[in-house]
Amino acid sequence: MGKIKVVHYINQFFAGIGGEEKADFKPEVREEVIGPGMALNAGFKGEAEIVATIICGDSYFGENMDEAKAKVLEMVKEYDPDLFIAGPAFNAGRYGVACGTITEAVQNELGIPAMTGMYVENPGADMFKKDVYIVSTRNSAAGMRDAVKKMAPLALKIAKGEEIGSPDEDNYIPRGIRKNFFTDKRGSQRAVEMLLKKIRGEEFETEFEMPDFDRVEPGKAIEDLSKATIAIVTSGGIVPFGNPDHIESSSASKYGKYDIEGVDDLVEGEWETAHGGHDPVYANIDADRVIPVDTLRQLEKEGKIGKLHRYFYSTVGNGTAVASAKGFAAEFSKELVEDGVDAVILTST
Amino acid sequence: MDLENQKRVKDLTEKYGAENMVVLIGGAEGEAAGLAAETVTAGDPTFAGPLAGVQLGLRVYHAVEPEFKEAVDADVYDEQIGMMEMVLDVDEIVEEVKGIREEYGKFND
Repeated sequence: MGKIKVVHYINQFFAGIGGEEKADFKPEVREEVIGPGMALNAGFKGEAEIVATIICGDSYFGENMDEAKAKVLEMVKEYDPDLFIAGPAFNAGRYGVACGTITEAVQNELGIPAMTGMYVENPGADMFKKDVYIVSTRNSAAGMRDAVKKMAPLALKIAKGEEIGSPDEDNYIPRGIRKNFFTDKRGSQRAVEMLLKKIRGEEFETEFEMPDFDRVEPGKAIEDLSKATIAIVTSGGIVPFGNPDHIESSSASKYGKYDIEGVDDLVEGEWETAHGGHDPVYANIDADRVIPVDTLRQLEKEGKIGKLHRYFYSTVGNGTAVASAKGFAAEFSKELVEDGVDAVILTST
Repeated sequence: MDLENQKRVKDLTEKYGAENMVVLIGGAEGEAAGLAAETVTAGDPTFAGPLAGVQLGLRVYHAVEPEFKEAVDADVYDEQIGMMEMVLDVDEIVEEVKGIREEYGKFND
């Protein structure tokens, strides 16, 4: 087998074209090894070589995503490489998103092995870590040497179709893939050993990584509660009796919007929960336990809050994908804002 | 090291010859000083600038290093650098820059 043919993607900065003032640079291909490509090429130790470098400005890519992607794909296709590498992007946000986007497209649309590298907090990492191999780099270009040391070996493995090790072994950002394997110690023993290590303050490695959710910045405090319109949103699955929208009892694919105009109390037989992740008896007897409509009406009468919003939004949180939940919220949050709601009380079960 | 300065160092080296160059740096901490020193010896470690892949191997010193301090007027040094010398982590900077110089410098004299 001859040398592995590599096409490399970099931004205008690493191509030496310029910084922010040149970020609108349109995709261009050069049949040479440029910038970080020199380091990568050295890292391949003769096993692979960069045959072309594609350069695109970060702003151009971000603002003309579809067009830029199509153009870059076309360029990659022309060289029919055995491997495509983008970046590394470190903590440059737009560059990271561009690297992720194009790596994913080369891999999935052209079927060419591809990979990239960036800092774990780069927005591109969260967007694409599940789809492609992203080597975890430091947050600035000062980490180039280290990044290349990790990227080159993994790139060769990917190109040669060799088995890829765990994220720790091969230095990429965990993709959330679980693999079964046999071990000589049973679970209880491993759990006790892990616990003992934890108690002793020693390092231990979990076998079940928790997914990390992004943090949400708290909203601004309400200045005058007595004038504020408060809405209820819940993942506790409260719906009109009979669940008219058929919200699923787990892994919900939708949410409902329900009118509580003139409703002072959620009574049994008129309201219930669609949630399948807990014993629904107490929620069905009194749905106010999940969404406190009765108390909020009381506060409304006392003038403590301006008013309770006419509609509440409800879905079932049980096993529902974070991405779906985000999607629901993105939709109805717009309505809430348009309706002049000042604050939302979010309840679960 | 920013791209402008890399270009300046490259141009001056072409004009006067590497053996006639000394680069004096003033980074305020070890890592930054080390990166600058690396840029003018082993090449730009970020691979973004004109010195990417260019190994000039120049003589490079930080202003707080004894080699430089001993070569200049003590009163002037005191006046211009004395204050910074007190607040910087001199040992760390010296170790970093010296390490780079010994590893990548072509003119170890």
